[in-house]
Amino acid sequence: MKALIKHTLAGTAATLLSFGTAAMDANEIIEKSNLAAVYPGDDGRAEARMMIVDKQGRKQLRQFSILRRNVEKGGDQQYLVVFTRPSDVARTTFLVVKHPGNDDDRWLYLPGLDLVKRIAAGDKRTSFVGSTFFYEDISGRDIHADNYTLTGETDSHWLLKATPKSQQGVEFTYFTVKINKQTLLPDVAEYYDTQGEVYRRITAMTVEQVQGLPTITQMKAENVRDGSFTINQMRNVQYNMGIPETVFTERSLRMPPREWLEF
Amino acid sequence: MKHQVMEYSVEHPRTVFALTALLTLLAALFIPRIVVDTDPENMLPHSNAARLLHEEVKQRFGLSDMIVVGIVNEDDANGVYNPATLTNLHKLSAAILNIEGVVDDDLMSLPVSDNITQKEPGEISFHWMMEVPPTTQAQAEQIRSWVARLPMLQNTLVSGDNKAAGIYIPITAKDQSYRIYQEILSIINGLDQRHDEFHITGLPVAEDTFGVEMFKQMAISAPAAGALIFMLMLFFFRSAALVTAPMLIAMATVIITMGVMIGMGFPVHIMSSMIPIFLMPIAVVDSVHMLSEFNDKYRPGCDKKALAKEIVGDLFQPMLYTSITSVVGFASLNTADIPPVRVFGSFIAIGIALAFLLTITFVPAYMASLSDATLDKMSRRVHKQDQHPNSALARLLRLIPGFSLAGSKLLMVLVVVTFAVSGWGISKIVINDNPMNWFEADHPIRNADVVLNNHFAGTYEAYLSFDASQDVGASFSNAAKDALQGSSEATQQAWQTLLAQHTVDGQFQMAELNTAVMEQLFEADTGQADYWDALAQVVDKAAQGQKFFLQPENVAYLERVQQALAASGLVGKTSALPDLLKTVNRELLSGEDSDFTLPQSANANAQAILTYQSSHRPNHVWHMVTPDYRSAIIWLQLTSGDNQDMSKVVDYMENWFKQNPMPQGLQHHWSGLTYINVIWQDAMVTGMLESLASSFIVVALMMIFLFRSVLWGIIAMLPLSVTISFIYGLIGITGKNYDMPVAVLSALTLGMSIDFAIHFIERTRALVQEKGSWRAGIREVFEEPGRAISRNAIVIALGFTPLLIAPLVPYQTVGIFLASIMAISCLTTLVILPAIMHLLRRVLFKELADQ
Repeated sequence: MKALIKHTLAGTAATLLSFGTAAMDANEIIEKSNLAAVYPGDDGRAEARMMIVDKQGRKQLRQFSILRRNVEKGGDQQYLVVFTRPSDVARTTFLVVKHPGNDDDRWLYLPGLDLVKRIAAGDKRTSFVGSTFFYEDISGRDIHADNYTLTGETDSHWLLKATPKSQQGVEFTYFTVKINKQTLLPDVAEYYDTQGEVYRRITAMTVEQVQGLPTITQMKAENVRDGSFTINQMRNVQYNMGIPETVFTERSLRMPPREWLEF
Repeated sequence: MKHQVMEYSVEHPRTVFALTALLTLLAALFIPRIVVDTDPENMLPHSNAARLLHEEVKQRFGLSDMIVVGIVNEDDANGVYNPATLTNLHKLSAAILNIEGVVDDDLMSLPVSDNITQKEPGEISFHWMMEVPPTTQAQAEQIRSWVARLPMLQNTLVSGDNKAAGIYIPITAKDQSYRIYQEILSIINGLDQRHDEFHITGLPVAEDTFGVEMFKQMAISAPAAGALIFMLMLFFFRSAALVTAPMLIAMATVIITMGVMIGMGFPVHIMSSMIPIFLMPIAVVDSVHMLSEFNDKYRPGCDKKALAKEIVGDLFQPMLYTSITSVVGFASLNTADIPPVRVFGSFIAIGIALAFLLTITFVPAYMASLSDATLDKMSRRVHKQDQHPNSALARLLRLIPGFSLAGSKLLMVLVVVTFAVSGWGISKIVINDNPMNWFEADHPIRNADVVLNNHFAGTYEAYLSFDASQDVGASFSNAAKDALQGSSEATQQAWQTLLAQHTVDGQFQMAELNTAVMEQLFEADTGQADYWDALAQVVDKAAQGQKFFLQPENVAYLERVQQALAASGLVGKTSALPDLLKTVNRELLSGEDSDFTLPQSANANAQAILTYQSSHRPNHVWHMVTPDYRSAIIWLQLTSGDNQDMSKVVDYMENWFKQNPMPQGLQHHWSGLTYINVIWQDAMVTGMLESLASSFIVVALMMIFLFRSVLWGIIAMLPLSVTISFIYGLIGITGKNYDMPVAVLSALTLGMSIDFAIHFIERTRALVQEKGSWRAGIREVFEEPGRAISRNAIVIALGFTPLLIAPLVPYQTVGIFLASIMAISCLTTLVILPAIMHLLRRVLFKELADQ
C-alpha cells in the first residue's frame, strides 16, 4: 500500500513537471523534433562514415563528407555528399535539393565514368548507397507525409505513431518514434509491417552537444528480419559556417568545393 | 550352442513368446520418434567435400533454397502482360511475403523488382517495376517493354514467350517447404483462375512432398505386402495355424528393426522406408521351409517336440547359409559412401539376422505349443492336398528335368548368348537420375516442372563460382609504417597485432584487415584517430588491389565464361555480375543497346555497383560477388535436372577452361543442388560396383565352403549371374536410366537369389545320393523341393508387388525389379542347374555307378 502511494505520488510529480510540455500535440512535437534533427543551425558540415554489416557479419566501410544548407527552416534544404572512401568510389558525389512535400532534385557524379546524371524523381525509400539507411533517413522524411498521433509519454520521451497518408512508395504500415523531451531528437524509430511486426529500427546511439546544438553523432539502422545493420558516425560536425548557395550547384559535382571539404 | 538354444525354445515356448513380445513392444515404443529425411543432399555424408563446398558457397553468396511458383496464361495474346494476370501476380507475391519462413528481402517477383531506366535523357531512374498492378493494357505493355530490357529479369521472372511469370521464393529452411507449399496453394485458391494456371515446383517442395508420400507408402504398401503374403501362403498351405507363425515373425522382425533404427536416431530416408517391405518376404521364407518340413513329417501321435528339434537340426545349415548370403548382400551396400544406402543395407542385414534367430527359436516353440488337435487337422488337410500333387505348378515342374536334360547343350549355348547380349546391353546403360522423376508423371509437382521448364530458361539451378587470391606486395608494409610515424606505442602495438591476426600463409588478408582497421577507426581515442585514419587509407588502397572482380579484365573473363555456357546450348540461362554491370552501364550512358557493355575501369565498376545499390534491393549484388570482390558466382538455370545433362555442362566447361585458361590466381568450383545430385550419383555407381564385386566374391567363397567344392561353388553362382546380367542387360537395351533404385538392387539381388541355388543343390545332392542315380534323383528334386522353391519364389516375388501401387517411382521400380529378379532367378535355377549338372554329372557325382 505504501509502495502504491509512493508510486502514485511520484507519478503525479512527474506529470506536474512535464505539464508545460504535455500540452503539445503530436504535430507540434514532430515539427519541433524535425527542426532539431534535420535543420540544426543555418548550415552544417560533417565527415561521415558508415559501417555496413550484412547478415553474415561481413563489414564494409563508406566514408563521405556532407555539406548542408537550409534554404528555409523546416522547408527546402541543399545537400552535397562527396565520397572519400573506399578509394574506388572516391569523389563520387550526390547533390540534392530537398523540397519537402514535392519531388527532390537529385544529381549524381561518377568520376570513373566522368558522368553527371540526374536521378529521376521517385520514391525516397531506396537504399542510401547500399547501406541499411534509406535515402530518406539521411535527408529527413517529410513530416506532412504521415499522420502523427501521441500514443504515450514518459518522463523523458514522447511516443508518437505515424501512419502514412498514402501507401504509395512506402513499405511500412506505420512507424513509431520515441522523441527525447530534452534534446527533441528522435531516439528510436521502429517500422511495422502489414502483420504488425517491427522489421526495421533506427536508433540514435550517441548524442553530443555541438556548438550548443544536440547532435546525433552515431546512429544505427537495423534490418530486424535478417540482423544486418549499418552504423553511421558523424565526426567534425560544425554548424553555421556560412556555406554559400553556389556550393550547391551542378558545378560542384565535377569540381568539389575544396575549401568547404577540408576538415 | 545351437542345440541349447533349440532345447530351451522347445521346452519353454511361453518364455520365448513373452520375450519376443516384450522385445517387439519395447522397439515399437521408439517408432513414434520417427524423423523423416527426404533431402537428396543427404545422399552424401555431411563431410563430403562437394557438399561442404556447396554449403559454403550458399553461405558466401547468401543463396537460399527456392520454391518456384509459376503463373501461366495461354489465352491472352499478350501472355501474362494483361491487367488481370499481373493483378494476380501482385496479390500472390504480396501474400507470399506474409508467409512465415520466407526470406522476404530475397524474394524475386516482378512487384518487388526494381526497374532501372532512363526517364529522360541524362536521367537515371530506379523504381519498383510494378508497385501497384496495372489497370490498363497500355500499362501492362509498358511493364513488358521494361522487363525485356533487363537481362536479369527476362526469362527468369517472365518467360521468353511472355506466357508465364515466376515467383522465386527463398525459404529459411527446407523442412518448412511443405507447409509453405500448402499455404501458397490456399492463397492461389482465393485468386481469379479463369485465365491463369498456377504451378508450384522447386526441389524443396519436391523433397518435402516426397516425405509425405513416403509415409503413404509405408502405411499402405507395407501392410498390403503383408496381407498379400499372408493370402499367398494361405493358398499354398491351406492352414491358418501354419501361416500365422511366419507372419508373426515377419511383424516382429519389421517392428524390432525399425524400432531399433529409429531409436538409434537414424532418420527414415527414401531407402530405409523400404526396409519393412524388404524384410517381410525375407523373414517369412525360412519359417516356411521349417513349417512345411514339419507338416510333411508330422503324423498324428508323434512327439512334436522331438520332431521340432529334428527339423531345426536338419534345416539349420541351409538356413544359416541363405541368411548369411543375404546378410552379405545387404551389408555390402556399406561400401558405398552414401549414408542412406548404408543405413538401409545395415538394418536389413540386422533384420535378416534377427529373422534367422527368431526362426530357430520362435518356430520350434510355436510348433511345440500347437495343440495336437490343431496339428492333426493341419496335417490331414495338407497331406490330402499333397498326396497326389497334381496342381498346375506340380505338373509344370515335372516337365522341367526332361526338357532341361535333353536340351542341356542347347541351354548352355543359350546361357553364353545371354551373357554376350547382356554384356552388350550393359555397355549401353545410361547412368542418370533426377529426384523430380521420383514422382509419377501425372503428379502435380512433376507437371508443374514440365510446364515451367517449357516456358522458362529453367527451374533447376547450378552454380559456377570463382575464387581469387592475389598478393599485395611488400610496398604495403612500408606505407603502413609511414602512416604510423609518430603515433603512440599502444597504437603501433595494436597495428602489429592486427597484421599478425590477418596474415595467412604469409599473405595479408586485405579485406579482413581493412575491416579490422575500420573498427579501430570507430573506436579510436581522439588523440590517435588521425593515425588510424592515415593507416586506414593505406590499407584501403592496398585492399583495392585485391578486389579481383572489380578489375575489368576479370569481369570480362566472367562474361566470356557466360558466353561459353550460352554457346554450349546446354544451359537455359546464366546470370552474373557482368549482366548487372552492363545493364547499369547502359542506363548510365545513353540507354541504347550499343552501350550494353562492361565499364572500362575498376573504379567505374565500383561506381556502377554503388549506383545500383541506391535501389530497393541493394544487397542483390552480393548474390553475384562477395563484398570483398574476391569471389564471384555464375547462376546457371537448367531446364532439366537430369544428372546426365548436368554432367554434360560440367564436361563441356572443363574442356573450355583447358582451352581458355583462367586469369592467374583464379580457381573455379561447381555447386548447386543439380550438381550435388551428380556427385552422389557418381558415388552411387562406383559404390554399387564395389558392393556387387565384393559380395559376389564373398558369396562365391561361401558357396565353395558350404559345398566343400570349387566346382559346386561356381555352379551355385551361375543362376544369379545369369539373372543379374540379364536384368542389367535389359535395362541397357530398353534404355531405362540406371538410377538410385536400380543401382541399389544389384548387390541385394545377389544375396537373395542365391537362396534358390543353395536349396536346390543341397536337395539334389542329397536325393541323388539317396536314390543312387542322377536321373532318379533329379526327378525327385522336382517334386517337393521344386515346389517349395517355386512357392517361395512366388511368395517373395508377389510380396513385392504392392510397391507398384506406391505413388512414387523408385518404389515402383524396386517392386518391378525385385519381382522379376526373383522370378527369373528361380526359373534359371530350376532350368539351368539341372542342365549343367547333367553335363558335368561324371565329375560331380563320381561315386555313383550309373553315369
